[in-house]
Amino acid sequence: MKKLISLTLALVMLLAICAGCASKSADTAASGAAASAAPAASASAAASASAPAAASTSAAAPAEEGKVFNIYAWNEEFKGFFEKYYKVPDGVTVNWIIVPSDNGAYQDALDQALLNQADAADDEKVDMFLAEADYILKYVNADATQDVKALGVTDFSNTYDYTVQAATDTNGTTKGVSFQCCPSALIYRRSIAKDVLGTDDPAEVQAKLDSWDKFNSVAADAKAKGYYMTSSDAETYRVFSNNTTSPWVDANNNLQIDPQIQSWIDQAASFSKNGYTLNAGIWDDECTAQMFKDGKTMCYFGPAWYFNFCMGNAQDPEKGCSGDWAICQGPQAHFWGGTWLLAASGSDNPTMLADIMNTFINDTDVCTSLVKNEAQFSNNKTVNETFASDPSYGSAFLGGQNDVKVFCDLAKNIKFENCTIYDQLLNEGLQTYMRDYFKGTVTEDQAWANFYKYVNEKYPSIVTPAA
Amino acid sequence: MKQPELKKRHKSVSYAKWGYLFILPFFLAYFLCSFFPQALTIYNSFFENYRDGLTQVGPKFVGFANYVKLFTPDSTGSVDILKYAGNTLILWICGAVPQIVIAMLLALFFTSYRLKIRGQAFFKAVIYLPNLIMASAFSMLFFTLFSNVGPVNQIIQAAGWANAPIDFFGRTFTVRAMICLMNFLMWFGNTTILLMAGIMGIDQSLFEAATIDGASPTQVFFKVTLPLLTPILLYTVITAMIGGLQMFDVPQVLTKGVGMPDRTSVTLIMYLNSFLGTSKNYGMGGAVSGIIFLITGALSAVVYRSLSKSYKGGGQK
Repeated sequence: MKKLISLTLALVMLLAICAGCASKSADTAASGAAASAAPAASASAAASASAPAAASTSAAAPAEEGKVFNIYAWNEEFKGFFEKYYKVPDGVTVNWIIVPSDNGAYQDALDQALLNQADAADDEKVDMFLAEADYILKYVNADATQDVKALGVTDFSNTYDYTVQAATDTNGTTKGVSFQCCPSALIYRRSIAKDVLGTDDPAEVQAKLDSWDKFNSVAADAKAKGYYMTSSDAETYRVFSNNTTSPWVDANNNLQIDPQIQSWIDQAASFSKNGYTLNAGIWDDECTAQMFKDGKTMCYFGPAWYFNFCMGNAQDPEKGCSGDWAICQGPQAHFWGGTWLLAASGSDNPTMLADIMNTFINDTDVCTSLVKNEAQFSNNKTVNETFASDPSYGSAFLGGQNDVKVFCDLAKNIKFENCTIYDQLLNEGLQTYMRDYFKGTVTEDQAWANFYKYVNEKYPSIVTPAA
Repeated sequence: MKQPELKKRHKSVSYAKWGYLFILPFFLAYFLCSFFPQALTIYNSFFENYRDGLTQVGPKFVGFANYVKLFTPDSTGSVDILKYAGNTLILWICGAVPQIVIAMLLALFFTSYRLKIRGQAFFKAVIYLPNLIMASAFSMLFFTLFSNVGPVNQIIQAAGWANAPIDFFGRTFTVRAMICLMNFLMWFGNTTILLMAGIMGIDQSLFEAATIDGASPTQVFFKVTLPLLTPILLYTVITAMIGGLQMFDVPQVLTKGVGMPDRTSVTLIMYLNSFLGTSKNYGMGGAVSGIIFLITGALSAVVYRSLSKSYKGGGQK
C-alpha cells in the first residue's frame, strides 16, 4: 500500500513537470497579463518560452471565419473606441492582447507572435495588430502583413494621404489603415499665457511663438515670472525629430545624427541649465503632475490624442484645470505618432478585418462620434471639415476652441518621411541617455558614448561611430 | 594449500544501488536543465546570432569575435564589461558586508544566554519577512517613494530640509545606496537564521570553559565562536557572492533597465539581459554568460580555498 502511494506521488510530481508545456493560448494570455505588470525582460522571456512549447495544430484553413478575433495593442485607447462604436458579429469573441510598449516590449511580443503565425492554431493567430508611426515600417515591409485592398478595403477617398503612405510598402501594397490623423500642436495653459504673454488668444499666442528664437526668449520671460516653459526636457523632441532631413540610419546602416536632433539637444541643455524645464521623461509622474491646477508649466506638445488620452490629470474634476488650455501651431509644424490597424497575414477573419477598417475610416457616424465624443481627430477628411466649419463646435477642455479647425490646417503639412524601422527605440534611447547630460551628471561625449552602447545592444546591425 | 572456493552468499543486501537510484533524478534534472543549457550558451557565444527587425541574422560562426567585442574599449576609452563588473562588485560588497555583520550581531544577541531576549520567535519572524517580498514589487515601491514627486521628497520639502526635490535617481551614490539597502533588507533575515543555527550547533561547554578562563565576550567571539562557525560562514559567503554576482531584479526594476545615472548601476546580468531584448543577440549574450561563469568560478574557488584552509588549519591544532 505504501509503495503504491509513494509511486503515485512520484508520478504526479513527474506530470507536474509537463504542466509547463501547456497549450499556447494559456501561455499567450498569461504572458500578456504578466507583461503589463512585469519588466520588459520577463515579458520577452515568457513569450519566447511559450512559443517553442506551443502545440501546433493542423494548418487547414476553415471554410467560414474564425470564432476568435485576436487584436494586439499596447494600450487601451483603441479598445475603448472599438467597444463603443463597433458592432462585433455574432458568435465571434474579440481577444485583446495588450503589452505596454515601454523599452520595445510590445514589439518583441508582437514579433514573437507574428513569427509563429504559421504554426499557431486558428484561434490563436494574430488577426489584427496596432502599430505606431515609429515602427510601422518594420511590419509593413514584411510578409507578416497582408494587402487590405484584396480584403475589401478599397475606399481611401476620405483618408489623409500620409496615413495611407505610411502603411504602404515599397511595392505599393497598402497593408493597413489609421483611425486617427495626428497633426501635433502646441498646447498651452491659458492662464499662464495671459500672465506671461499678456494674451491667451490662439492667433496672438501663435504670433509670439512661431519660431524657435521667440520660443526660447518667451521661456526666459516665463522663468522670470516663476513658470516652467515645458515640464520635460524631451517635450520639444518630436517637433525637431519630425523636421529632420535625414533618417536615423543611412543606406549603409551607419547611424547618423541629423542637425535638427543636435538642435534639440542644445535647446534642451540650455533649458535645463536655465531652469526653464524639468529633467523628467515625457511620461514620468513629474511631468504629468504639472498638468494639475497647481502646475506651473505653460506648454505641452501633442496631437488630439495627447490632450484626450494623456492629459488625464488636467481633466481631473477636482484637481484639474479643464478649460484652461488652448492650442496653436507652435514653432514648427509636426505630427506625432498615430495608430495604424494592420492586417496580419494568415488571419482567419478576413471579412471582419476589412469591416473594422472600413468602419473606422469611412463610416460617417463612427467618425463623427470619434470627434464629438472622444475629441479625436479622425482619419476622415469629410467629417473633419464638417466640424471645422461648424461655428458652434468647440472643445470644453480647450475653453471652447475649435481644435478640429486648427488640426485640419496643420494636417495639410504632414510629411511622412525619413522613417526607419529603428525609430521607436532610438527616439526613446536618445531622450533617456541625454537626460544625464542635461542634468549635468556626464559630459555630452559620455552621453553619446552611452547612447551608442545602447544602440549596439538593441540593434547590432547599426554601425555606430567608432570614436 | 588451495583455498576452497567459497560461494559468496549475500546475506547482507547491498543498498548501494538504491543510493545511486535516488540521486539519479537530481543528476538527470541537472544535466537536462542546467548543464546542457549552459554548454549550449557557451556554444552559442561563438556564433553571430541576432535579430534585426523581423529578419534573423546568423547563426554564423565567428569564433572569439564576440568576446573581443566585449573587451574593446568604447569611444571614451573604458571597457564596458569591466565597468559593469565593477558596479556589480561594489553593489554586492556594500550590500553583503552590512548584511553579514548585522546578521552576525543579531545571531549573537539571540543565542546569548546572558542577554535572555524574550519574544524571540516574533523577532525571528519579523526579520525574515522582507525576504518574502518580491524584489520587483519592492523596487517599484522604492521607485515611487523616492521619485521627485514622491512621498520622501514631499516630506523633506515640507520639513524645510531642502527647497527643491532631491534627485535620488540622478546621483550614483543614492541609487547604489538604495539598491544595497534593498538587498540588505531582503537577505539579512535569512543570514541571521543561518548563523543562529550555526552558533547553536557549537557545544555550550566551550563557551563556559572560555568564560571561566576569564575571556571577555569579544575574545570569546573571535577565538571560540568565529573559528567554529567557519563552515556556515563559508556557505553564507559563497551563496551571497553567487547571488551578488547575479544581481538583476532589484537594479533592473529600480532603474527601469537603464542603470542611471551614466550606467553606474548596470550589473553584469542586466548587461546580459539587454542583449536578450529586441535584438535577441544570443551570440553576445552567450559571451557575457561565459565571462560571468568564469568570474563566478574563480571567485568561488578563491573563497572556498581561503576559508577552508583556515578551517582545516584550526581543526588540526
